[in-house]
Amino acid sequence: MTESLVGFAVLLVLIFARVPIAFAMSAVGVAGFGYMRGWDPAFSMLGRTVFETALNYSLSVIPLFIFMGNVLARSGFAQGLFAAAYRLIGRLPGGLAVAAVLSCGGFSAVSGSSLATAATMSKVAMPSMRRFGYDDGLATGAIAAGGTLGILIPPSVILILYGILTESDIGKLFIAGMIPGLLGIALYVAAVFVTVLIKPSLAPKATGAPIALTGADIVGVLAVVVLFAVIMVGIYGGFFTPIEAAGIGAGVSLVISFALRRLTREGLYAAFLETAGATAMIFAVIIGAEVFSNFVNFAGLPDALSDYILDTGYSAWTVMVVILVIYLLLGCVLESLSMILLTVPVFYPLLYTMDFGDSVLADPNLAVIWFGIVVVVATEISLITPPVGMNVFVLKGVLKEVPLTTIFRGVLPFWVADIVRILLITFLPVISLWLVM
Amino acid sequence: MRALAALSTVLILALTLVTCVDVVGRYWFNAPLPGAFELTELMLGALVFAALPLTTRDGGHVEVDLVGMLMGARGGAVLTAFGNVFAALVLAVFAWRLGVEALRLGEDGSVTNALRLPMAPVAWFAAFACLLSAAAAVARAGAAMSHKERLND
Amino acid sequence: DTELVLSSWLPPRHPLVINAIRPWAKEVEEVTQGRVSVRVLTKPLGAPPAHFDMAAEGVADITYGLHSFTTDDRFERSRIGQFSFLGDSAEAASKAFWQVYTEDLDAAAEHKGVHLLGLFMHGPGLLHRNGPEITTPAELAGLKIRTPGGYIADLLRDLGANTLFMSSPEVYEKLSRGVIDGVAFTYEALTAFNLTDYVKSSMRVPGGIYNTTWFLVMNEGAWEKISPEDQAAIDRISGLAFAGLAGKAWDAADDAAKEKISAAGIDVYQASPEMVSAIKTAATKYEDAWAASVKEDGFDGTAALKRMRELSGVGE
Ligand code: NA
Ligand code: NA
Repeated sequence: MTESLVGFAVLLVLIFARVPIAFAMSAVGVAGFGYMRGWDPAFSMLGRTVFETALNYSLSVIPLFIFMGNVLARSGFAQGLFAAAYRLIGRLPGGLAVAAVLSCGGFSAVSGSSLATAATMSKVAMPSMRRFGYDDGLATGAIAAGGTLGILIPPSVILILYGILTESDIGKLFIAGMIPGLLGIALYVAAVFVTVLIKPSLAPKATGAPIALTGADIVGVLAVVVLFAVIMVGIYGGFFTPIEAAGIGAGVSLVISFALRRLTREGLYAAFLETAGATAMIFAVIIGAEVFSNFVNFAGLPDALSDYILDTGYSAWTVMVVILVIYLLLGCVLESLSMILLTVPVFYPLLYTMDFGDSVLADPNLAVIWFGIVVVVATEISLITPPVGMNVFVLKGVLKEVPLTTIFRGVLPFWVADIVRILLITFLPVISLWLVM
Repeated sequence: MRALAALSTVLILALTLVTCVDVVGRYWFNAPLPGAFELTELMLGALVFAALPLTTRDGGHVEVDLVGMLMGARGGAVLTAFGNVFAALVLAVFAWRLGVEALRLGEDGSVTNALRLPMAPVAWFAAFACLLSAAAAVARAGAAMSHKERLND
Repeated sequence: DTELVLSSWLPPRHPLVINAIRPWAKEVEEVTQGRVSVRVLTKPLGAPPAHFDMAAEGVADITYGLHSFTTDDRFERSRIGQFSFLGDSAEAASKAFWQVYTEDLDAAAEHKGVHLLGLFMHGPGLLHRNGPEITTPAELAGLKIRTPGGYIADLLRDLGANTLFMSSPEVYEKLSRGVIDGVAFTYEALTAFNLTDYVKSSMRVPGGIYNTTWFLVMNEGAWEKISPEDQAAIDRISGLAFAGLAGKAWDAADDAAKEKISAAGIDVYQASPEMVSAIKTAATKYEDAWAASVKEDGFDGTAALKRMRELSGVGE
């Protein structure tokens, strides 16, 4: 127990000393394991974890879903989503920001990752908002927040990882993410309206037809719809598994992009390289988290926590509130992937010791699905919570001249919307479970 | 490095193809691709390690540079150098342990379930790639320090 | 006092964990008056196939796993427990396996680097299908069957089936989508992996169409740190006693599964004489090949197999 806490403290120090998170977790994990267990076992644990994680069949979804998103982005389909969203609802005050949120939601339906969604949409939506004098904070905030939907609206790399960690049905997790995802879009749109209502100068009225909706844009929207349909019908119609869906999605997106002549050779090569880069980055984090959680597991943290809750006899909902608070605090400093990988193995066994009375959560199989959605929404919040908000960093990377503080300030209304959403989703499990049941 | 980029490209394409051929094969031709499961595993492993040196060279790992921003350019350079040297050490240990793993897989004669492909070569490649990544991290640390020197002048 | 860490990779509520591993861990503490305790982890310290080596290298003190996790010849003599017609109860088969493998086939030599605490098998394996009964070998031809590999894969291929491998949780995805037509599983696995909605019939063969063998092992260094009297106390509740405990856990899980299977209306039928004799013919070939191979190391495989069947109560 003490060892785990010391481990977490050292980990934070290393992270703030700009050691890449992946290698900080690996180092602390091995050192902690070695201290408690001996160096030979610690090093063999390390070697095996590195190798096995890289060769884990289920994790093949990571490069393939990312590749799919990159191909679509490089083919300019995201542009079409933004133009169509503007045509749909953009005349309202703050219309471009609303369109940014909506198109983020749309792109999330074909992107497995939040960072990729934010990166793609920032390139698409930011120029228009700047052209019409939108406040940088509102503009970047809408995209950073909208981008977080990438891991909630299926397909989702994070939901797949959660499914693997908890041995639960990935197909059901995907379905469960749909309504909370739509709720997220609705609340973000509301956040834009409220912000603009309070301070209209943030979003000057766009005059004329600020964004033309071309034939190519419509084709782009159709391509996204077709691809989402292929994935969903394929999974739920029984043609392929959620894991295979990634490979099929990648293949179909390539075929569509080439058939429509939307992908240049340079664009394709860039999509490959971006995918390779993201893959190595994500796997390094997964390996580090795995090594670190082996240490925490060996040190007995998960068991100590379960025993503690059983001993104190707290009610299930009290425990859930505590877990939410822990997630919000961890979300300040931890990166999303490591947050899931480090916390889920510790928390999800608690579901089996918690008594939810005669609610739908009495069925542990449903409780695991619901908890997965709660955890993913908590992770979404962490992506825009300072000081370490990965989506905010992505925006900062694309728009180097915008100060980090401006983006975090702009994200605030969306963060409030997220808090409302996570409370709704936690205390009304039916929001997540309605489609599953 | 260019060879690794090309290899990554081929592997991503091959991963896509394996699933597509498997699914299409079994629906339209009643002939799933034998060993699709383990081919995916081996190629995924190869992809992760082929891409690792590229990501490391490009500074693509997730890091948090809040303290660095507070410390100014010179302090930031020192932190960058520290972070990269640390990463290089960890990567070197990865390389060493993957080498041990490769030796063991080779001695045991470990093969995949259906196609009976040997596992050891992938582990050797992984060890080599981690060594290359360690070198890339050292190079980044060096670049950060020489940048700092210039700031001092 | 010594605390031993047991890395457990099955789900924490799996019958084997609840009714064998944890009770045994508790017993260790009792028989050593608390001088030795066993902490069972809810999350493993590595992938399932790594668990034998993890004990040998001391990543964990105690691990369990399947011999068939390794594709090499390390546990060649353990394969006696994978054949057809070995036992209708996991308890009897497990005890027979412990006796024959340790007494006649020098199990300790094949478990080099660890202290062998236990050996066991699960209940009889069946052939579950998403269609009607298979009465003749001809009906088996061309069916796509998921197997764990090894003997049962060879056997079914000989009988004309296409065999495939995928991880156990993937079986649900593939069977529900008709990617595979059937699966070689126990009663327990049929329900554990939620296949009752998709399986229509299950073929039962006297003594099981296949089985799998499992080990429970301890790091040698950790074992040697325990006093001789505590070692003796632990050995008394391990070995044959643990084979009985683990076997009973599997049998109880099979019994619970059988109720769900009959409630789901799945047709569990005895294989036709024609089918049994076809299996016997094919099986003999593999039994003989295995016996010839262990003979090179000086073991009488044929006699061992005969003794095992006698002990488990299915002897001819
Ligand atoms: Na998504
Ligand atoms: Na954060």
